[in-house]
Amino acid sequence: MSPFVRAVALVLLGADFFSPVATRAAADASTRTTAPAGVSESAVTLRWAPSAPENSTARVVEITGLPAAALHALRIADWSDERWAELLAVRVTQAPTPTPTPAPTSTPATAETATSSQGSPADALPAMLGRYRVEGAAVCFEPRYALTAGLRYVATFHAAKLPAPFAAPRATPLMAACEVPLAPAGPPTRVSAIYPSADALPENLLKFYLHFSAPMSGGHIYDRIRLLDDAGRPVELPFLELDEELWDPAMTRLTLLLDPGRIKRGVRPLEEIGSPFVVGRRYTLVLDRAWRDATGQPLAADAEKNFLVTPADRTPPDPARWKINAPAAGTLAPLVVALGKPLDHALALRLIRVTDPAGRATPGEPSLAAHESEWRFTPAVRWTPGLYRLLIATTIEDLAGNNIGKPFDVELTERPDAPATATSVAISFSVR
Amino acid sequence: MKMLPALPRFAAVALALGLLVRPVAAAPAGLTVGTPALKSIGPLAFGPDGILFAADTKSAAIFAIATGDATSANSTQPFKIEAVNEKVAALLGTAPDQILITDLAVNPASRLAYLAVSRGRGPDAVPVLVRAKADGKLEVVSLDKVAFAKAQLPDPPADRTAGEGKRASNPRLESITDIAYLDGRVVVAGLSNEEFSSTLRAVPFPFQSVNGGTTVEIYHGAHGKFETRAPVRTFVARKVGNESQLLAAYTCTPLVEFALNEITPGAKVKGRTIAELGAGNRPIDMIVYQKDGKEFLLLANSARGVMKIGTDASAKTSSIESHINGTKHDGLTVETIADWKGIEQLERLDATSALVVRKTAAGALNLESMALP
Repeated sequence: MSPFVRAVALVLLGADFFSPVATRAAADASTRTTAPAGVSESAVTLRWAPSAPENSTARVVEITGLPAAALHALRIADWSDERWAELLAVRVTQAPTPTPTPAPTSTPATAETATSSQGSPADALPAMLGRYRVEGAAVCFEPRYALTAGLRYVATFHAAKLPAPFAAPRATPLMAACEVPLAPAGPPTRVSAIYPSADALPENLLKFYLHFSAPMSGGHIYDRIRLLDDAGRPVELPFLELDEELWDPAMTRLTLLLDPGRIKRGVRPLEEIGSPFVVGRRYTLVLDRAWRDATGQPLAADAEKNFLVTPADRTPPDPARWKINAPAAGTLAPLVVALGKPLDHALALRLIRVTDPAGRATPGEPSLAAHESEWRFTPAVRWTPGLYRLLIATTIEDLAGNNIGKPFDVELTERPDAPATATSVAISFSVR
Repeated sequence: MKMLPALPRFAAVALALGLLVRPVAAAPAGLTVGTPALKSIGPLAFGPDGILFAADTKSAAIFAIATGDATSANSTQPFKIEAVNEKVAALLGTAPDQILITDLAVNPASRLAYLAVSRGRGPDAVPVLVRAKADGKLEVVSLDKVAFAKAQLPDPPADRTAGEGKRASNPRLESITDIAYLDGRVVVAGLSNEEFSSTLRAVPFPFQSVNGGTTVEIYHGAHGKFETRAPVRTFVARKVGNESQLLAAYTCTPLVEFALNEITPGAKVKGRTIAELGAGNRPIDMIVYQKDGKEFLLLANSARGVMKIGTDASAKTSSIESHINGTKHDGLTVETIADWKGIEQLERLDATSALVVRKTAAGALNLESMALP
């Protein structure tokens, strides 16, 4: 009889996954229950073990019970990763489970479940990368990357692939599985805002900002976004589909550009298929709830924004026409600026600042109201009497991408050469 | 990802590096040994001597990495790695839906393929560089103790109001949409997630300083207008006579050429629109190649197959500045090759083949070589 135990161990890391002590206990317990009755427990054991007390999610695969001479032969073997993987390989054997795993239970995998991974399709896939080493009386495999929540990993040890003379050609492969449950589901992620927030948007609208309540997953986002006309029919290719999706660093905001080729006057897409919008009609932007957040959970619900399309806006924003409601000296009252029309949400918050009578930046918090057509600034220090200034970067945009002094698309006859624009414009207001 | 086929090889600084030997001792000029801390990995381009340029949008930086892969290719073995995304996922120990292949590059010296891979799809995704060989072998390129250099792109415009208090985090990010190497310069196209502005920078290599080069506005005449600020979607560098040129496909579909040496500080570059690519045509990737003594541009689109454009006539084609008269692809010969379907990445493999990542009808991604049309 082969000296190697046929054992199948399932280490199911449950809700206590992040507790090193509990996890270690669970792993040890499941290992002890692995050997089927009637088989010697004195021989080789394969198990998943916590690798570092300070990192409860890290796991190593351990083979123990090998003869000392075999361990020595492995220690001095100068093997490639491919050769090591013939002896001990870890493979992902199933897709993520759609729902979080309930309370932890140590459930031994059936031999059938585990061996189902040994069919040819799985064998055609390479084993997971990691570091092999002999440590004390154990052969260890440390995965190079953290195990992914929701997946099942099966380690397979082929005693037949031990170095001669230790190879046991007839030995049954030994397996141990490890499942990493999804973190307990928090409240589902939702679409927290869509900008522009107005109900009426110009035909040459340039972009939407989609805000989410938690980090999202990127990649293939255009499968999750549709623009429907008032008959519920999808508008064909309305968006600029970029490989490099325009997320913010936290992945809680996505910038969605309408295809500029369908907005700009005189370029072929506009001539051929026209603007994605018809003035006077209503449209709905629909975000599919199947869009997954960064933890793999779908959104709480579909999100929709319904809006009316108004004529194209080709008039650059003009700060000279903004109406400033100056606050009273000695107060912390907000400065309120009526912008005349909605401006780009992100840029209006970032590209306008206030300087005090001495020319220093006034600390405070900007915000937008009235569907981004009103800029408000709440100072962190009381207003003092004198002449303040509002400095506006000329790269600020309205909803159609017009800048200060520079429409989105420029007629050749209007502007035969590059405009030498200032980088900012200033308007003054008195605090009394 | 694109490099001129006939680029000088800079043999004088050739690395004495075998494929499996780490370049610990002799770092090439301008590079130092260490561990490049990539936060993300996007567009790739090869420079001379096995130096790979990798764009890291999250760090707003370009890394030059000595791959140590400077062995010359003597093989013409075709590539056919089926379901490469599933194989990469297995290698990285995760599910295929947790893998994004963000770019493909071929080292023209060794004919080995490099895939920029994101392991995971959320903000904590891990960037991985995977090397693929024609025999199907995949390996992760270790970035421990490699010779590298980093060019930090200039800071985005000052975070004027959001720099204090609870709004201290800046959501602005400038994506790097494409990079290319030509004549000692890394050309970088960027697109912001806030301003609809386009930047194009030419960063000298070896990286002299960390100022990241120059930002220019590109003006291209089209249809009776000067259009400004249109972001470059993808581009390729090429030599026309002694002039280094960029051929750029814009987001609003013109194909524009301009001289690389015009990208200088403060310049206002006027490009020549040499073709209009039409509606529903989203350029993904392009390469330049020679066949039967003529130069062609192969442009992959999102859905329609690829376009083969004879570029030899471009020097004679007048810039398209009159209004559309209904004739497609004014001036240049354009052939649509319909059976190149599902192309997601396109790269030149050797003199007669392209290497593509293509999506099969079943949804898997194959890495395969295809004869240049």
